[in-house]
Amino acid sequence: MSDVLNKTEEIVRKAKSLGADEVLARTTFGRYRQVRFSGNQVDITVAWNDYVTDVALAWKKRLVATQIHDFHDVDAGIKKLLELAKVSKENPLFGGFAKGKFKYVASKADEKLEDLENPTDYVFEAVEAARKEAGAEIDSGGILFTKFEDVYLASSEGPVGVDKRSAVELSIRAFAQREASGHGVECSSALKDFKPERAGAKAGEIAKMAKNPKAGDEGVYDVIFDPLIFGSSLAVWGSMVGAFNVLIQMSVFVDKIGQKVAPEIVTMRDNPGAYSLSSRVFDDEGVPARENVFIDHGVLKSYLHNTSTAKMFKTETTGNAGLIAPNAWNIELDAGDMGKDELFEDVKKGLYLTNTWYTRFQNYTKGDFSTIPRDGIFLIEKGKIKQSLKDLRVSDNALSMLGKIVGISKERQHVHWWGKAEPPSLSPYVLIKDVHLTKSK
Amino acid sequence: MEEDIVDYALKYAESKQVEYAEVRAQSQVQDRLVLRNGILEAYVSAVDSGFCVRILANGGIGFASTNKWAREEAKDIVDLAFKYAKAAGRKDKIVFAKEKGVETKWTVDQKRKAENVSPEEKITEFVEVNKSLASCGVKIAATIFQCSIDLISKYFVSSEGSRISSFVPKIGAFLFLTVAEQGKTEQAGEQFGYSGGWEAFKEWNITDKMIHDAKILKDVITKGKTVKSGNMDLICGSEVTGIAAHESCGHPMEADRILGREMSQAGRSFIYKGGPYWLGTRIGSDAFTIVDDPSLEHSYGYYAYDDEGLKARRRFLYKNGVLNEFLHNRESAAKLGTKSNASSRSINYDREAIVRMANTFVLPGDMTEEELIEDVKSGVYMKSFTEWNIDDKRFNQRYVGREAYLIEDGELKHPVARPVIETTTLKFWSAVDAVSKKVNFDAATCGKGDPAQGVPVYTGGPCIRLREVYVK
Repeated sequence: MSDVLNKTEEIVRKAKSLGADEVLARTTFGRYRQVRFSGNQVDITVAWNDYVTDVALAWKKRLVATQIHDFHDVDAGIKKLLELAKVSKENPLFGGFAKGKFKYVASKADEKLEDLENPTDYVFEAVEAARKEAGAEIDSGGILFTKFEDVYLASSEGPVGVDKRSAVELSIRAFAQREASGHGVECSSALKDFKPERAGAKAGEIAKMAKNPKAGDEGVYDVIFDPLIFGSSLAVWGSMVGAFNVLIQMSVFVDKIGQKVAPEIVTMRDNPGAYSLSSRVFDDEGVPARENVFIDHGVLKSYLHNTSTAKMFKTETTGNAGLIAPNAWNIELDAGDMGKDELFEDVKKGLYLTNTWYTRFQNYTKGDFSTIPRDGIFLIEKGKIKQSLKDLRVSDNALSMLGKIVGISKERQHVHWWGKAEPPSLSPYVLIKDVHLTKSK
Repeated sequence: MEEDIVDYALKYAESKQVEYAEVRAQSQVQDRLVLRNGILEAYVSAVDSGFCVRILANGGIGFASTNKWAREEAKDIVDLAFKYAKAAGRKDKIVFAKEKGVETKWTVDQKRKAENVSPEEKITEFVEVNKSLASCGVKIAATIFQCSIDLISKYFVSSEGSRISSFVPKIGAFLFLTVAEQGKTEQAGEQFGYSGGWEAFKEWNITDKMIHDAKILKDVITKGKTVKSGNMDLICGSEVTGIAAHESCGHPMEADRILGREMSQAGRSFIYKGGPYWLGTRIGSDAFTIVDDPSLEHSYGYYAYDDEGLKARRRFLYKNGVLNEFLHNRESAAKLGTKSNASSRSINYDREAIVRMANTFVLPGDMTEEELIEDVKSGVYMKSFTEWNIDDKRFNQRYVGREAYLIEDGELKHPVARPVIETTTLKFWSAVDAVSKKVNFDAATCGKGDPAQGVPVYTGGPCIRLREVYVK
C-alpha cells in the first residue's frame, strides 16, 4: 500500500508546483460494517467501502479544501482547488500547518476487523445476555459497528505518515416492559477486548430494575451518573475545550484558562489511546496524537488546538487538528478513589441516571441546558435503589454541574453511542450534588 | 455518475435468488463556506459520487455501497449485500409493500444556477451580512456562518422495473451569533434552506433577520423580565408551532419508530399497537391539522419521488386533532398491512433509505395574528425558541422562548426572558383553540438513523393559541 502513500505525496507535490504555499493530503481507505437489529432480530446488515483523499491547501492565507473520490483526473482537481484559493478571501489569523518531521508509534489496529465473517454472532451474544438478565420476553435492538481504515498522510511542511485505525462497538437497548428499558454499550479498538455480552447484560439488568416506573418528582437531587450518561457530559465539556468552539463562543470555558472550574478531584484529559475507538497515531496535520490534560485538579489548563488556533492563543498545537478546526478525540475523567457501591452509599436521597439524549443549550457561553434521561431512572434512598422512575428532565447548567462533582468511582468504562456520547470517552460513575430536574406540567 | 455500472449491478443482483433488488447512485457537487466574524475560515469544494445496492433475500435485507466506479467493485458489493441478506436468518421474514415500477425523470429548476455564481460572490454576500450586523447598534461578540450548496443527481433502478433520474440543487445556510450587552450574553441561531438556485439568498432576507435577532437579544438582556409561573394562554409563533409539529407529531407518526426499528437510537413512539393511541384516536382539539408534504415546490424538504421510487404526496398526520396516517416506507407499510406513502429518504448513496419527514406544518386557520392576541387576557407570545427537546417516545417536550412578549388584556407588553413551556404532546395539542391564517416555514435538519442522516426539512405553520397551559 506504499503506492497509496506515494500518490498522496504526489498530490502534495503537484499542489506545491502549481503555487500553493502549504498543502495537506490524507488518503483514507475505509471499510465499515454494521448490523442493525430490533425485536431481537437483524433488520439490515450494511457494508460501506470508502476511498477518499482529503486535501487542504493554503495560498496567501486563503484556506481551501476538497475531497477527491474520483482519481481519474487528480491534477485537474488540484488545479481547480488552487484557482478557488486565488478567488477566495484571506484569513489573517490562519497560522499555517504543523512543520517538522515526526516519528510515530506503530499503530495497534486489529487486522481482524477488516472484514468480520459472521458479525451477527456478536449481536446474538448480546441479545442472549440481555435475555438471561431480564427474561426471554425482552425486546432488544441496537447496532454492531466495525471500522477498519488505512490512512496515509503527507504534508508539504514535513510530516508524512501511515496509520491503521480499527474499532468495534455494540450498542443494545433492551425493553423489559414498554416503559422499562436499559442501554448497554461495548466499545474497543480490538476484538480481543470486545465482550458484547457485557453490553447485553447491562442493558438487561437495567431494564429489569426499571420495571413498573412511576412518574418522578421535580426537584433538586444528588445524582449518580452511570458511565454511559456521564459520557454524554464528558463529550459536552470535551467539545467545549476545542479552541474553535471557544473562539465562536460555543463554550462555557471562554476566558477561563487558569481558573478553577471544578473541584480538586476532577482531572480531565483528551487521549486517543490504543484502546479507544478514536485511536490514532497522528492528527490531520501529521502531529503525533497525545494525551492532553485540559482540567488538572479542577483548574482549566488548556484548550485543544491545531497549529492555527494555537498561534492565536500563543501556545503550541496539542495534536488535535482536523482538516479545518481542532477536535477532541477521546475524553477521559481520571478515576476516583471510591468504589461504585461507596458512591451509592453516600446518597441519602437522590437519583441514579443511566442514559440520556437530546441535549440542547439555551446559551453555550452561559451553559444553561436541558437533556432528557432515558432508560433506567432510579430513586435512591439511604444508598439503595428504591423505585424506578420516568418522565424527568435534567434542566441545569454545564459549568455549575462540573463544579458540583463530589464523587468519582474507581471503575471506568469506554463508552460511545450514536452521537449522544460523541466523541467517545473513558467514563466513571460520578456523583453530582444538587442537580435540577424538571417535568411536564 | 456511470449509469451503465448501475444497470450492470442491478442485472447482476437479479441473477441471484433475490426477492427484490435496487441500485441507487448519487453524485453530489458540494460547496461549503465557513466564516467566523466575517472572515472566511475555509472554502471546501468537492464532488462525492457512488452507488449502493439493497437486496431483499430470504426475508433479510443486505446493503452495500462504494464510491469506486468499476464493474468489479459493483459485483463485489452485490455479492456482499446478497450474503448479508441471506445471513440475517430472520424468523419474521421482511417483505416490501407491493408497488409498480416507475420510469421517469424529474428536476428542480434554478432561476439563478448556483454553479454559475462565483465563489467570490458567495463569500461576499456573507461578509456583507456580517458588516451589517457589526453596524446595527448591538454589540456582537462573535458570529459563525456556514453555507452549503449541494447539486444532487440521482439514478435509481429496481428489479420491479423502476428507472428514475433526478436533479435537485439544495442551498442551505446556518448563522449563529452571540450578543454581549451589560456584561451578559445571549445567543441565536437561524437556519435557511431552499431547493433551487442561488435566488434563495435574496429570498431569505438574511441580513434583516439577523439584525432583528441581534436587537431582540439585546432587548432580552436590557428589558426582558421573567414570567410569573402559572397557567396562562400561550400564543406560539410559526417557528414554535413548526418545531412542535415536527417533534410531537411528525416523529411519533413515523411507522418505523412505531414498529420499534429505531428503538435503540431515535427511540420509539407513544403510539403503539395495543396502547392508548392509534389511528383514529384523538390527540388534540379539533382546531388544527398537521400535514407532512414533500411536494411543496422549492421547499427544503422537496422531492417528487422518494428513495424507493414512489411518487410523493401530502400526508395528513393529525387531522382535526385525530391520528390519521403514519409516515411509511415499503417495509413498514407491509408490516402494518398498508401501502407506502413515499416517506423513504436517504442523505447519500452510502446510507439506507428510512422513514423520514419532509415538510411538516400546521395548516392555516381563519384568524389573524392580531385576533389571536386580542382575545388573551393574560399570557405570553412565544415567537421563537432557543433550547428545545423531547423524550424518545415523543411525549414530554420543552420549548424555551427566544423572542417572547407578555400579553395583557389583548396587548403585547415588555419582552419576556426565556419563558418555558414543558408539557406533554396530549396537553399541548389539546390546548389549541385557534389558528391564524398565515403560514411561515423554517428550514431545519432532521436527525435520525445510525449512522446519522440529517435530512433537509421545513417545519412551519401559522400562529396557534393554547389556552391555560403552564408557563414558567
